[in-house]
Amino acid sequence: MSDNKKWFSIDLGLNKKKETSGSCGCGKTSGGCNSHKEELSADEFYEAAIDASIGEERHKDGFEQVFDVKMDRRQAFKKLTASLLIGAGAVSTSCSVTTGKDTKEKAQIDWEEQFKGNYKLMTDDEKQKTIDRLMRSYELRTGKNIAMTAENAEENVLFGYAFNISQCQGYMNCVSACVEENNQDRDSEMQYIRIHEMKDGEGLKFEEADDNYYHEVPAEGHFYLGTQCFHCDNPPCVDVCPVQATWKEEDGLVVVDYDWCVGCRYCMAACPYDGRRFNWSKPEVPENEVNKNQHYLGNRMRKKGVVEKCTFCVQRTRKGENPACVEACPTGARIFGNLLDPDSTIRWVLANKKVFRLKEDLGTEPKFWYFMD
Amino acid sequence: MKNRTSTYYVILLLVVTLVSCKGGEEEYHSVTDKIEAKQTPYHGALSSEELLAGKDLISITEGEHTFLIPERKGQITSYACIECHSKPVSQMKGSDIQKAHWDIKLNHASSETMDCATCHNPKDMNQLNTLTGADLDFNLSHKLCMQCHSGQFEDWKGGAHGKKVAGWAPPRASMTCVNCHNPHDPGLEKRWPVQFNTKTEIERQEGLDD
Repeated sequence: MSDNKKWFSIDLGLNKKKETSGSCGCGKTSGGCNSHKEELSADEFYEAAIDASIGEERHKDGFEQVFDVKMDRRQAFKKLTASLLIGAGAVSTSCSVTTGKDTKEKAQIDWEEQFKGNYKLMTDDEKQKTIDRLMRSYELRTGKNIAMTAENAEENVLFGYAFNISQCQGYMNCVSACVEENNQDRDSEMQYIRIHEMKDGEGLKFEEADDNYYHEVPAEGHFYLGTQCFHCDNPPCVDVCPVQATWKEEDGLVVVDYDWCVGCRYCMAACPYDGRRFNWSKPEVPENEVNKNQHYLGNRMRKKGVVEKCTFCVQRTRKGENPACVEACPTGARIFGNLLDPDSTIRWVLANKKVFRLKEDLGTEPKFWYFMD
Repeated sequence: MKNRTSTYYVILLLVVTLVSCKGGEEEYHSVTDKIEAKQTPYHGALSSEELLAGKDLISITEGEHTFLIPERKGQITSYACIECHSKPVSQMKGSDIQKAHWDIKLNHASSETMDCATCHNPKDMNQLNTLTGADLDFNLSHKLCMQCHSGQFEDWKGGAHGKKVAGWAPPRASMTCVNCHNPHDPGLEKRWPVQFNTKTEIERQEGLDD
């Protein structure tokens, strides 16, 4: 393959112009083609491997299109097992003469998505291709368009957050803005933000605090403290991930590749702040409520069995906007900004207010500070 | 001679310390150290200019802080005030003209401390006035608030009190006092939270989550 893709491609006849190195203009898959002489040994190996594994079957109608990829036998078997369902789907759709172009394209996208690499390792071009596929896939499935981006971390930016516990009135506008912005599952009522109602004068007692109150606020003799993912500078959740599906970006955001997450929930166990959420069922968001401005690492639609969490609204903040919670807060209790910019307001807060973080002694170095008036 | 040797030792020690401290790029003891080491005024590609486009803002300088605040006069529906207040208030009271401002109930400090004229300029209704009677433009009403609320004013100048108009990226545009607080009734209201998690409630009642 000429371009160094990290997933395997199948050709269902949609991209007729593109030719993979295994075949040539004459339509034969072996011999004959002089221009590929230098690759003959690799081709021979490929032929032998495929012959040994699937033999005559590959000459059957449509099948070779699906397996028109260069891989050795071990790899072929590994991939086959890993994606039996998708493979079967692709085979059946590609073999069928009755299925439409859309179905075939969908199968093609599913296949390529299945075998794409870890987002962290993708080049910008590969990132663009995967978001293009995801947008097209959404369009094919729902008939609606979404705008997905894959902005990388900006240079000289390190995101940080400050929360004023004397300003928060417990209205929870942040919680509902967050749910709407980040397409969180409505069925399980997933929420990234928790607002803890705490008694005045008794310190921070989370076990005695109520984070699901429903009465007029602010309640007499109480203050309110919000928690969410703190985007630790030394994140324990990242260390425990067995597949490196979660990592810290250059601008300090701790993100998850939902397509790489295997759902083991080690990260949830490792997080000392209850910052992560798990999709026990397929997340459901009514079509008219879907936020269509999405980021690959942010609020794009998740699937069942993956972990998600606050991303400081990466889809907004990497465009210069504030996170949805900051924008929705009616009291100005939430301050967001660039920690590396000495002129930013967050830096003024850190320098001039008495700030503290939760469980500082753990050494997780959260980039989320609390302060008082 | 002895002195020179010790100087060499000191230099060697310094070099060793510097080299050992500057090991890896991410070798910071804490995030605070990292911030200090890598800080630089942001002049990157991201800016709030686009988000602020179309908003009517004015630039103010308070102490060492210069930032934008929303223009105010254009937002007051009955401005300019002299369109009605053509005569001093004392002459307009009790006269036969249409009643106005009936909906304003002053709930700001006690009546001994403040009345309308504490902020409004009775001689020129298009202006506010400070405690010493100096004229003040409606756009700069924060200068009135700071006369008493100096703590909040300090925090607001720095960015710890109040909301931003748009994004985090420069230029900074902050809401001014009256964008959130009704100057006649500045306290925040008591109200119901906008969100309640019924699933969590059920789980807790069933004892699935403790």
